[in-house]
Amino acid sequence: MKCITALPALALALLALSACGSARRSVPVAGPMAIADPQVALGERVFMRECSVCHPRGEAGLAPGINNKPLPEFLIKFQVRNGLGAMLSFSEEHVSPEELDAIVEYLEHMRGRG
Amino acid sequence: MKAGISRLALLALLAGGLSGCFAMLPTQGGAYTEFSGERRFNTADVLLEPGYEIELVTSGLTFPTGIAFDASGRPYVLEAGYSYGEVFTTPRLLRLEPGGATTVVASGEGGPWTGVVFDDGAFYVASFGAILRVDLNGSISTVLEGLPSEGDHHTNGPAIGPDGWLYFGQGTATNSGVVGPDNYEFGWLKRAPRHHDIPCEEIVLAGENFTSDNPFRGAPDSPLPGDPEQVTTGAYVPFGTVTTPGQVVGGQVPCTGAIMRVRPSGGPPELVAWGFRNPFGLAFSSDGRLYVTDNGFDERGSRPVFGTGDLMYVIEPGRWYGWPDFYAGHLLDEENRGKSHPGPPMRPLLARHPSQPPEPVAAFGVHASADGFDFSRNPAFGNVGQAFVAQLGDMVPGVGKTLAPVGFKVVKVDVATGVVHDFAVNRGELQGPASWGNHGGLERPVAVRFDPAGTALYVVDFGVLTSDERGNYPRPGTGAVWRITRTGTAR
Repeated sequence: MKCITALPALALALLALSACGSARRSVPVAGPMAIADPQVALGERVFMRECSVCHPRGEAGLAPGINNKPLPEFLIKFQVRNGLGAMLSFSEEHVSPEELDAIVEYLEHMRGRG
Repeated sequence: MKAGISRLALLALLAGGLSGCFAMLPTQGGAYTEFSGERRFNTADVLLEPGYEIELVTSGLTFPTGIAFDASGRPYVLEAGYSYGEVFTTPRLLRLEPGGATTVVASGEGGPWTGVVFDDGAFYVASFGAILRVDLNGSISTVLEGLPSEGDHHTNGPAIGPDGWLYFGQGTATNSGVVGPDNYEFGWLKRAPRHHDIPCEEIVLAGENFTSDNPFRGAPDSPLPGDPEQVTTGAYVPFGTVTTPGQVVGGQVPCTGAIMRVRPSGGPPELVAWGFRNPFGLAFSSDGRLYVTDNGFDERGSRPVFGTGDLMYVIEPGRWYGWPDFYAGHLLDEENRGKSHPGPPMRPLLARHPSQPPEPVAAFGVHASADGFDFSRNPAFGNVGQAFVAQLGDMVPGVGKTLAPVGFKVVKVDVATGVVHDFAVNRGELQGPASWGNHGGLERPVAVRFDPAGTALYVVDFGVLTSDERGNYPRPGTGAVWRITRTGTAR
């Protein structure tokens, strides 16, 4: 029974860690980027402030690339709030719930540029 | 209920699995590579924002760090005369001739020469512990000397302010306030064993001390009495000196980790702002505000700091910007920011902080080395008001660990929003230097400057500098200058 529970978890963990193509999405690589949705634009600004130093524009750097990983929304939010491994945790004081929603939308936007 | 249990199990597994991930994954910095033979150049290997093109202006330079234009618009490039890796050459100012040839205008001594600006008929150079004036006939005179440049970071800039003063940066002696074995490995601690950081204003220490191996152990000229196996060192004091809680360290100017200014005609320096680590790039925006790029902490030495990126600030005169206890306006021990993995929690070095530091304008990748920059001001080039920033790139593993190369490109910053976009990068699965990607693209952009018309962005490329666990290996003669223009407007 434990195995049955752990298997999907392991599969998702591997999925989360596995790269699906290059994480490069920047303008010189993937072309012009116009962000019309204010929620995505907010996400971009917050991502720049809090996330981009380790994941430069979602690419690999200090930390793994995330533009190319199909992480579900709940997992992104869990990781931001709890800071697994070497990653910092970000309290609501640092990243408000609205800002965290916006980060998720921004990441989905970046994923779509692949 | 079953779904809830599954989700909990998943999260627990992820937490367990990911917690060891960073330590298990290999280091993949862009400096951590092999290089031999001639450097190749191929503009097709450089990817640009659509609408722009790049050309190679000149190559074969040794450790170029800056570029400036004389009154008639001719470009001049600076060669530093020194590179990390303890390679000393001759610092020089070269005129770039049409066709890519260079003419030596001035040769000096005592590098590094880290930056140059032209104003009112003369060049002003940030030299080792000094600001120099270089006339067009090549004569060199000293504007200011005695700056504390013996440590990790040097005298940077300069930039001419709207008030006609020369503004310059002075980097810190150390990574995070404490002299340690990393400074011995850099090389300078052997030459200047009593050197340390100098606050610009009086500070009160928390009395934090750090014990390290004694790198001088067994050396006949060891500066440490008794040749101990281990050494304990506090903040803002020489290697091997212990501090106590409440200890007062007097401030002075010149100091380390600061922006200062001096009249081009000379005279004493004045403090502009302090609490930086290595304020390398300085530029004034068209509205007269001074912006600075500051290189973030490294994960090295007696007080390693993890995960802090480089920052851009707009300068508010008189303010303290947070080094050595803050990063981007946040205390390093807040929510374990800065803590190494594994490593102890960060503790402040100062018992009292001068003030709450300002927030940065923008942040760049950890170890990106965001350096020289300039603002676009001509609609013909576009992106008016945006800051174009050269990123020298990481020096992993000496500065810490990364999972991929960081930097090695030119980015643009919207200083109103803090949004950073790539502007010039290399092709490939990952962004990295040409030597790492085995192609002919950008290596290490260290400075950019628009020509006087504002229609061409010149990119100074330091050249190949590789690293491993034993040190840094710069390659003389691999530096270059590139020029970026709107498509169809190249000369």
